[in-house]
Amino acid sequence: MDFSLVVAIELLREVAGLILIATGLAVIFGMMRVINIAHGEFMMLGGYTVVLTTKLGVNIWVAILILAPLAVGLFGIIVERLIIRHLYGRIIDSLLATWGLSLFLIGFVTVVFGNTVEGVSTPFSGLAIGQYTVAIYTLFLIFAAMAFIASVYLTLRYTKAGLIARATMQNPDMVECLGVNSKIVYMATFGIGAAFAGLAGGLLAPISGVVPGMGALLIGKAFITVVTGGAAVVAGTLSAAGILGTISQAVTFASGPVFGDATLLFVALILLRLLPQGITGRIFTRSV
Amino acid sequence: MTAERAILTTSRLTMRFGGVVAVDQVDFTLKTGELRCLIGPNGAGKSTFFKCLTGQLKPTAGSILFADRELSGKNTHDIVRQGIGIKTQVPNLFDGLPARENIALSARQRHSQKRSEEITDEMLELIRITALAHREVGSLAHGERQLIELAMVLAGQPRLVLLDEPAAGMTAEERGRLASALRDLAGRMSLIVVEHDMQFIKDIATEITVFHRGRVFIEGDVAEIMAHHEVQEIYLGKEADGAA
Amino acid sequence: MLSKVSKDWLGAGFVTVLGLAILIFVPILFDLFEVLQMTKYVVLSLFVLSLAYIWGFGGILSFGQAGFFGLGGYVFAVAAINMGQTTVPFLIAIGACALFAAALGYFMFYGRLNDVYLGVVTLVVTLILWKLINHTAGPEYIIGKARLGGFNGIPSIPIMTLPWRPGQEMEPAQMFQYFMAILIAVYVLLHALIKSKFGRVAISIRENEVRTGLLGYDVRFYKLCIFSIGGAIGGAAGAMWASYQTFVDPNIFSLEWSAKCLIWVMAGGVGTLFGPIVGVLALEYLSFQLGQTELINNLIVLGTILIFLVLLLPKGLFPTARDLVVKVWRRRGGSTGKGSP
Repeated sequence: MDFSLVVAIELLREVAGLILIATGLAVIFGMMRVINIAHGEFMMLGGYTVVLTTKLGVNIWVAILILAPLAVGLFGIIVERLIIRHLYGRIIDSLLATWGLSLFLIGFVTVVFGNTVEGVSTPFSGLAIGQYTVAIYTLFLIFAAMAFIASVYLTLRYTKAGLIARATMQNPDMVECLGVNSKIVYMATFGIGAAFAGLAGGLLAPISGVVPGMGALLIGKAFITVVTGGAAVVAGTLSAAGILGTISQAVTFASGPVFGDATLLFVALILLRLLPQGITGRIFTRSV
Repeated sequence: MTAERAILTTSRLTMRFGGVVAVDQVDFTLKTGELRCLIGPNGAGKSTFFKCLTGQLKPTAGSILFADRELSGKNTHDIVRQGIGIKTQVPNLFDGLPARENIALSARQRHSQKRSEEITDEMLELIRITALAHREVGSLAHGERQLIELAMVLAGQPRLVLLDEPAAGMTAEERGRLASALRDLAGRMSLIVVEHDMQFIKDIATEITVFHRGRVFIEGDVAEIMAHHEVQEIYLGKEADGAA
Repeated sequence: MLSKVSKDWLGAGFVTVLGLAILIFVPILFDLFEVLQMTKYVVLSLFVLSLAYIWGFGGILSFGQAGFFGLGGYVFAVAAINMGQTTVPFLIAIGACALFAAALGYFMFYGRLNDVYLGVVTLVVTLILWKLINHTAGPEYIIGKARLGGFNGIPSIPIMTLPWRPGQEMEPAQMFQYFMAILIAVYVLLHALIKSKFGRVAISIRENEVRTGLLGYDVRFYKLCIFSIGGAIGGAAGAMWASYQTFVDPNIFSLEWSAKCLIWVMAGGVGTLFGPIVGVLALEYLSFQLGQTELINNLIVLGTILIFLVLLLPKGLFPTARDLVVKVWRRRGGSTGKGSP
């Protein structure tokens, strides 16, 4: 009984982790059809924001939940203004440019902070379930991911900004016809996607610590989740994170974490072979 | 309409998108050497039907027999290799190459270098676009591109040609050239033309199939269809729908 | 006809002669250290040809070319350590990479993934290979006599021998000439392939995939072949790299290598074979010089170059320069061309 509860929590943690790292990427992909290759580095910046500000005495919750998304979101807007906006309509070029940005950021942060792991202490202690211990922070992460995806859903569904966003996802060319400045929509999208990445990086910082190259460890899973999910932000991310998280966790239990990742990729490839537009390209076509 | 003279037959061909049935159990027969026009208001299912024939869509159910071979579910390139030429609605050309090389590439699929040069010359003459032979197609007008694509499709020496709105965007002069080319071709090969423009249809067609709400509404020759009361209503009805 | 053939081969013939001259004279004219340095450029030039071919002449943009480079290196290392010779392991490495590319290509091309998905999938595959190999540090990860070594890498990889002289390791000058000969051979073969019917169809696919399919060509199969050829060349370069360094570690799979390969091709110009090789020489020489000063982080330089290339010179550095020269030339000499753009 205790064991199955622990297994269930581990499983939810994996799914929650995928949701956290993929949502920002999914927002940008869903709206702009651009995969932000620097997404991992945006998370890394979120992590460093938390490390720096807590060192300066800022409350850790303020650092994680407010400062990390704010700082990275602003950075995202600057990036959009300087680089991405020149590349609309040139999707492959925008991928290449964000890749350049990714390399630049790894190099820059390595020069500034050094290639060492910086830690943040976990805000909670452990919780005993029978003979096992589960970190309360894990439960918090699961809760945060659920709250996160729910708020994205509610925003898309019930606000004016959400309506514009949904319209953009359905037909980007029509947005201007609704009387909306598409330039601002794209700028805001990139900023919000970056802010989500910052939040994810902040939330994960206490668990994994931060290091300049951490993005490479995270983005593989994030890319797979988004590409498998397809263009619908909420339904795609949720369904892909659910399927892939479960499978990867099952394999991890059976044979260790390395093959979990490889299996994830393999399952994603098979799914893509069957559904080339991702899960939501075929099944939940009208969802958000 | 005996079976051995039919080159293309669909039976109960159906294409569903989610809950929408775009093509609903269509039975359709084309005789060898026939030139047939498919018409119908927007959303009538004629384009979806066309895409099922070309393999761009995989039909949900039903069969497509071309010269006694099943095409349903096959990939586009396989369908083309059976001897079907496809002219899409938007011209699909190699913009960086001259018209000649575009056409030669098509002929080269089946023939030697030398033979494909000859075929290319024949096609340029047939469509009367020899003047355009050395122009880069990216720099040509829409109507000229349409004609080059037709030449390209014919260079593959198909037995059946499928054309999706070939006259779209053409000048009156180009339409005339296209219409006379299509009339010449009928008999030598079979053709299916999806078209909106009634004047153009009058210029080329013998037989017309009218699509409505995913089904074949009526078939007949130009005069019959033009005079048909309900067909006129369908077209007027389309405008009423469009306004709503 | 003859004039067309000779025109097709004029540039390539010039490059081949240049290559042969380098092959013969470099070991005579330069000292040992310089020859070793240039051997590195030769291997990387072969690596860049793999991407220059599939991207420039097949329209397939792989974000994970380092995957083949690394796989080739590791397969060669494991096979060479086990077999005690190098020629067969070299072939095994090439074959394994071609097969791996074919398997991956099957999922990507037969699933009709679009460009963005293709980029992401190739990138993720490389990431996962990197992660997998990184985690093989334990003693249980051993293939025959070869320990994979995880992040420590595999040391003491045999130096290649000439196929007809097994058991006799090559001298640095010999290795340079052997690798240079391979590079020239691959260059000539690729050039012949591009000019063949297969190559023309591949270029049609790059220009207009839908139309090529409508002409009756199986686009997926052609792309699969192109991608596999690219994989084989990348794998060959990886095996040569491992043998040249006598060492290989998981960082051979890093995104940095994939990015470098892309940057070389972009700098040299997509759609040529020679340009990307110039890209390797110019940018590696630059990073060699910068590396000696140790003032600037290599990744910052790479990232900046990539962004700069995308934003300002989408056609590539050298093609842009060439166009500029041609423009100035035309202006000075009056209009001599037919006026085609």
